[in-house]
Amino acid sequence: MWKMAISALLMMLGATAAQAAGGERIQVKGEIIDTWCYYSGVMGGPDAVVGSAHHTCALWCSAGGIPVGLLAEDGTVYMVLKIEGDANSAGGDTQLKLASHEITADGMFYRRDGLNYLVVEKVVTDHGITNLNHEDYGPIPGFAIPDPTK
Amino acid sequence: MKQLMIILALMAPPVMAQDFAEGSEAKSWNLYGESPARFEAKVVDILCEITGDCASDCGGGTRQLGLLRKADDVLVFPNKNAQPAFSGAVVELAPFCGKEVEVDGLLITDPDLGAKHIYLVQKIRNLGDPEWTAANRFTGEWAKANPEAKGKGPWFRRDPRIRAEIAAHGYTGIGPEAEKPFIKEWFE
Repeated sequence: MWKMAISALLMMLGATAAQAAGGERIQVKGEIIDTWCYYSGVMGGPDAVVGSAHHTCALWCSAGGIPVGLLAEDGTVYMVLKIEGDANSAGGDTQLKLASHEITADGMFYRRDGLNYLVVEKVVTDHGITNLNHEDYGPIPGFAIPDPTK
Repeated sequence: MKQLMIILALMAPPVMAQDFAEGSEAKSWNLYGESPARFEAKVVDILCEITGDCASDCGGGTRQLGLLRKADDVLVFPNKNAQPAFSGAVVELAPFCGKEVEVDGLLITDPDLGAKHIYLVQKIRNLGDPEWTAANRFTGEWAKANPEAKGKGPWFRRDPRIRAEIAAHGYTGIGPEAEKPFIKEWFE
């Protein structure tokens, strides 16, 4: 009986270790977004807090240390922890320069407690800002662009 | 068999969802999906926790930091500090790297967007300490790190890196010249 218990224990410990060390190589295309505005809805719906409408705010949040994510074409959000060797995920230059850009990323995918994580090993293609939604939504937030007449 | 069942039961994760609102003094931000949450946790380097790629001192404020919740071992991701200033939580958590802490703030949950265990931290303290530290240090630390950007207006209008990006690519990212007609029309 005790052998069964120990075997079960070892199996469970083994599974936990495998989850921590594991990861799956993926290639995914999507936009580098500001996760706080996207998840919290503080600036409006999810379609308004992406793309060119939200570019200035995306710069503010990225420089302010808010985590960036990759919003994939299927709607999945990956929390980006590292880009091409740059682990400065709290306000770093690499992620700042990619704010609002659509990229094709090759890297390692991890999942933990319901969130997706991505370590980008290579930005295969930087497509630039492709979601040109500023004409539809205006600047988000409204004060992102200072009034040039004042 | 009874002993086996006891061992497995002890190791199983909690099935019932826990209510972390008890004792919370968090202020509402009137956000969709917010819920007050006060809990004990260990401050961890998320990249290290997830992948084993670790740095000394949790990266010294350069890496995203997580809260490994004591009650259920869930990795909570603090995205935001307590200031309404486009500021994250790393500056607030970095001094507590590797420490057992208690935090109070707002959890954000939105299944439609995949938001789970996302957190806005409002205050933090070492476990057992009577005094809380408000999670509003970002702007002060930014000012110390950017003395050349001293002036009027919020930090995000004065930040040299942000200003350089906007000067090069415009407020919309399509380019300063390309966006001129849009800006002119928007403010007419």
